[in-house]
Amino acid sequence: MTSTDTGERRRAADTRPVITDLLVASTVESIAGEAWVALVGEDEVLVPIPGDLPVDPVSAWVDVVGPWTGSVVLTTGRDTAADLTRALLGPAVPEELEDEDVADAFGEIANVVGGNVKAALPGPSALSLPDVGAAPAVRNPADVCRIDVLWRGQPVAISVQGALPALPLPHPPHENPMHENPMHENPTHENGASL
Amino acid sequence: MRALVIDDSRAMRRIVTAILEGLGYEVRGAGHGREGLDVLDEGWIPELVCVDWNMPVMDGLQFVSAVRSNPAWRSITLMMVTSESEHTQIVRALAAGAHEYVIKPFTADAIRDKLGLLGLLPQEVAL
Repeated sequence: MTSTDTGERRRAADTRPVITDLLVASTVESIAGEAWVALVGEDEVLVPIPGDLPVDPVSAWVDVVGPWTGSVVLTTGRDTAADLTRALLGPAVPEELEDEDVADAFGEIANVVGGNVKAALPGPSALSLPDVGAAPAVRNPADVCRIDVLWRGQPVAISVQGALPALPLPHPPHENPMHENPMHENPTHENGASL
Repeated sequence: MRALVIDDSRAMRRIVTAILEGLGYEVRGAGHGREGLDVLDEGWIPELVCVDWNMPVMDGLQFVSAVRSNPAWRSITLMMVTSESEHTQIVRALAAGAHEYVIKPFTADAIRDKLGLLGLLPQEVAL
């Protein structure tokens, strides 16, 4: 007896969750809000109103590697990142704030938010050390859960974004899969300047 | 009382240090587990070590295992202070020899409560 390989079993095994299957924006907002209150200050709230990020923002992120793989990216203006650092350090803030201080503090906020996002995802997963700079590119726009908030009136974006390209869309076996998936074509983020 | 704070984030070291100094601790800091072991090797033995998990060079879990493998450091209380909040990770840390586990973000009260449970609040603070 012979059988025809239709590819159905391979496609079923290729099923990979996207972040919107696993996480809702309100969870990210709640995690970030708790981090802000604990790290930045008791009265420091994030207001869920989108604002325009500056043209030269700075991002801090951690990578999550596990059943879902991607990055948790915080993006804001450089002055706002410096203000966050001052608030985080409180009385321990140095007289002269250096770029290194800002990278360290903003990275730690990303680490705390990212660690708690990781805990909300199926595990086990590994968490990277934080990185600061231009945000990693969005690989698959369908695999992004993003919130835009204001802190002290300044915009902050928090993006939980997959690191893997989109899977091929399921297609009937007789169709040619080579020209069907627009997700592979130069994914760009619709909103962030360097995202 | 002495405490060693091990975290690769200087900001987080400053925050934890400020909390512990406010409770009356004499505090030293280290940027990763290997630096922490160097402090202990110098003979500066604290009652408490607050150690992060994810760090370069030597992570917190490796540090905990190293401390627990040395009988001379048996008296040290180890508290993980980390954003690793998966249940399996907490179990791993406790199994390796950590006494307590604090998940970031935390408040100063949370640290104080944990120290109270461990009997590590300086007497004048505990009263």
